[in-house]
Amino acid sequence: MKKFILLLLCSIATSLHAQERIILLNEGNWQADNGKISYFEDGEIVSNQWFRDINKRKLGDTPNDIIQINSNLIAITVNWSNIIQFISPDGKRIAETEDVPNNRKLATDGRYVYVTSYGHECGTIHGYEMFTRGYVAKIDVQTFKVVATCEVGYEPEGIAYYNGHLFIANTGGYAFQEDHEYETTVSIIDAETMQLVRNVDTGQINLYGKLSQSGQYLCINSPGDYYDIPAATVIFDCEGALHGDDDCFVVLEYASTYNCTMLDGNFIAIGSRFSYYTNEYTFNYVVIDPHEVMLTDGGGGVDESLPGTMLEDLKALGMPYGVYVNPYTGYMYATDAGSFAAAGALVQWSPEGTFLGRHKVYINPAHFLALPPDGVDFAGIEQVTDKDKPTSTDEVYDLRGVRIAPAEGFYIQDGKKIYKH
Amino acid sequence: MYKTRQHVIRCAAMLLLAAQVMTASAQLSLDSIQALDEVTITSRQPSLTMATSQTLQGEELQALSNTSVADALKYFAGVQIKDYGGLGGLKTVNVRSLGAQHVGIYVDGIRITNAQNGTVDLGKFSLSTMENVSLYNANKLDHCQSASEYASGATVYLRTRRPTKDSLSVQLRRASFTTYMAKANVQFERKGWSGFIDGEWTDSRGDYPFRYHSEYEDTVGHRANSDIRYGRIEGALFKGGFASHIYYYDSERGCPGGIVRRLSDKYVNVGREWDRDFFVQASYQAQFMHHHHVKVNAKYTNEYLRYCTDYPENHNTARVDNHYYQQDGYGALCYAYTPWSWLSLSASYDVRYSKLAADLKKFDDVFRLDQKQVVAAQANWQGLQVAASLLHQHYRDKTFAHVGAADPLDRWTPAISGAYTLGGLTFRTWYKKIFRAPTLNDLYYTQVGNRNLKPEYTKQFNLGLEYHLDTPHWNVSAQADAYQNKIENRIVCLPLKGTYTWTMMNYGYTFCRGLNATAQGRYHTDDWQFSLLTSLTWQRDVNRTDPDDEDTYDKPICYSPTLSSGVTAIVGWHNLQLSTAYLYVGERMWSYADPEDILKPYHNIDMKLTYSHLMGKTHWSLCLEVCDLLDEQYEHIPRYPMPGRNYKLTLSFGL
Repeated sequence: MKKFILLLLCSIATSLHAQERIILLNEGNWQADNGKISYFEDGEIVSNQWFRDINKRKLGDTPNDIIQINSNLIAITVNWSNIIQFISPDGKRIAETEDVPNNRKLATDGRYVYVTSYGHECGTIHGYEMFTRGYVAKIDVQTFKVVATCEVGYEPEGIAYYNGHLFIANTGGYAFQEDHEYETTVSIIDAETMQLVRNVDTGQINLYGKLSQSGQYLCINSPGDYYDIPAATVIFDCEGALHGDDDCFVVLEYASTYNCTMLDGNFIAIGSRFSYYTNEYTFNYVVIDPHEVMLTDGGGGVDESLPGTMLEDLKALGMPYGVYVNPYTGYMYATDAGSFAAAGALVQWSPEGTFLGRHKVYINPAHFLALPPDGVDFAGIEQVTDKDKPTSTDEVYDLRGVRIAPAEGFYIQDGKKIYKH
Repeated sequence: MYKTRQHVIRCAAMLLLAAQVMTASAQLSLDSIQALDEVTITSRQPSLTMATSQTLQGEELQALSNTSVADALKYFAGVQIKDYGGLGGLKTVNVRSLGAQHVGIYVDGIRITNAQNGTVDLGKFSLSTMENVSLYNANKLDHCQSASEYASGATVYLRTRRPTKDSLSVQLRRASFTTYMAKANVQFERKGWSGFIDGEWTDSRGDYPFRYHSEYEDTVGHRANSDIRYGRIEGALFKGGFASHIYYYDSERGCPGGIVRRLSDKYVNVGREWDRDFFVQASYQAQFMHHHHVKVNAKYTNEYLRYCTDYPENHNTARVDNHYYQQDGYGALCYAYTPWSWLSLSASYDVRYSKLAADLKKFDDVFRLDQKQVVAAQANWQGLQVAASLLHQHYRDKTFAHVGAADPLDRWTPAISGAYTLGGLTFRTWYKKIFRAPTLNDLYYTQVGNRNLKPEYTKQFNLGLEYHLDTPHWNVSAQADAYQNKIENRIVCLPLKGTYTWTMMNYGYTFCRGLNATAQGRYHTDDWQFSLLTSLTWQRDVNRTDPDDEDTYDKPICYSPTLSSGVTAIVGWHNLQLSTAYLYVGERMWSYADPEDILKPYHNIDMKLTYSHLMGKTHWSLCLEVCDLLDEQYEHIPRYPMPGRNYKLTLSFGL
């Protein structure tokens, strides 16, 4: 009887649904092979070496981005290990590839994963391909092989998928060491054919770091060169760019070193503008309404106040190293890299900006992924019923980015994944 | 200095018997022949016991398994070596946790400088031309020292051997990991002039095996891109108070990088580095009218470094090809006045002019004028010794780089020492405050430099005692020093808040307490000679930077072991000599983030067996060395494995 009660209690405990589930990549130290994953669930760190615990092996050196591709698959770029690691949402390794060296950031349409690379070679199903500049690789998640590539600018960084197209922010980040200048363009690629559609020149150099996407808008950081050219933020309208508009972006005089999309579709950005000449900084913590920014041509849409106590709490961080909003729940997070030799911290706020806690993680915590709460379908997929059925058949794509007529099941519209039933 | 030499001669006389006894066996060993003259300086002058110092010389220096100066220094108490592994890996020393840039390395009293980053790669200096290697915590305390000898937290002196007869020797070596070495040395002595020419050529593939074995991995492999090829040629010329030295080193090496998770061996580090170092130096010292002593030093240094990853096969990392050029002119004038035999007063002026050029973007030539003056006094009266010095340093930079030059730096720093000797026992205490100026890299390096940096200060306090006992057969010495160091305004590279950039900053405060102890014993009979050298370091140095940060405050400094020790035993019998060196280095943490982030303790046993033979006027010897006898896998820097067990076979001829 006792045993039965115990079993019953256990089953109740396990059936309690986890709401907040965050996977956090700790970059570790470069060349120290100590990239680690922290797993956070409902207010507690479950493990700071989640990948090791589950797989009995190390993740590798400097994990750089993480994305969920479908309900069973997550991809992680492990930059200095030249590995793209595929895991299941419960952390088990599924596959890995080293065909895309110096891999950077990820985007997906649910069928393929797209990865940017600073490298000049790529192992594909057609053999090795070489590039003068950087490239984007399209990986089939059924075979984990690169099926197509497209050369873009030097050192391409941030990448977003919108409406059957990929938008790639080029940095030219090796301009300091190599014999080329910083890049200023966003490359647009047709995701199905992997052909370059065109490059949009933003006039801003070094489009470096994670970019955030909110529907048709992107938030792209430009750190400048830290000497003469100050940092800036580019708000980019993918829809406008696809229509060939020249004014498809607006430059804001704020830095968005760390940025994320909030639940209401605005961007939250933390950054600083720094010059080696003066050794002086200007910090900014802003909320950007991209629609308003585009409408007013940058005259409005930037709010320097953050929800609740978030602003004061962020200012108190030793070294902010990442910001994130859980797209399912709206809970907000930031990481603090602290002194870089010590463990960093994960800080959590409620959607209203109430400080909820600070948790010790590992060195250089930087990249987040929220898992869907228990009982909710996978990331980014909105469930709609017949009444939300798209009216225009022009703007609907399947998960491969191929234009289709709306039907039952999964499809993509306005940059969102939709499940219709 | 005159007095010093007299004293040495007296010591030599005392030890003559012992030396003669040794001659029979020693003459048969090539190493010992070269070292014979130095055996005399086994007992130290009273005035030198005031300084905390350790010396390796003569046979003992040769008996250790060592190829570079770094290998010899690791046997000293209080020394931590940073070594990226292999023959080509950067080797620097850190003394009592002060940091490598606080350790001055001096060849015959003139500092080896690196205006660019302030650290000296000890792998570039050979022991074969050295008479002894000494480590002085704080100051050496000679009667007549240049100001720059007072300007570092700890000083390592490499003293070049002065030949006393004509000789020629050749060494050939074959060692593990496809390593070949050839060395030749010619010495001469004519009418008071003496000198040598020493040349070495080494080529090593350096592809040593390594293994990482833990719960989470079992990585085995061979170090890739770890080869090195270098040539070194140097010469020296001496006469009386005149000493000169010319040195040239040329190398090409691979830069292997950390061992990280990879799926295959497809991607390896391709970076390569070339170094060309040249210096010529001369010094002259003279005594006149019995009370006056003058020394003049001059040196010119020219260094070139190239780092390149711009190869067609490099498809995945930045393609870099940078060249750095450094030039350095140095002069010093020292004057000492000894009004009475117990008192010495001295003053010195040093000037150094450095130029750094590099083909980096947003960088332009940087010039630095560095001037130092010191006034010092030493008294030695009936066993009571006192020394005090006051150093003034002035740095002024000029640059065409757009960021502009740093403000001039002007500082005074003192040092004071006291000791009392009774019989063979000396009690001593000293205090020294000194700083290291930000290097040209710290200040101006593109995308890192910060020209607003303040100097990094160290304050050292030491209490110690030392004991000597010399008998015809026995020679015993022991010393123990307790110390306390504080380091303020550490110069470190940190990322800037809210940007992706890193920059040099003054950040950090270290508090260190420790104990260094060494004991040495030597015993000779007709057939046998025994030496036992031991050292022990216990140290607790903690981070006192941020009292609010409980993860780091009062926690040990990374890479610093609490306990380390060394034991070296040398046994000689007729033509044979066997030396065994044991080194233990305790656990070191390398980050505060995880208790797992530690470097495991390691035990290193090196053995060296030498057989020497005399045929007419020709000496020859054969030497077999085994390093890391237990084949322990260890590392100084995480993921930079050190070579495991390896062998060296050396054949030497001498005339």
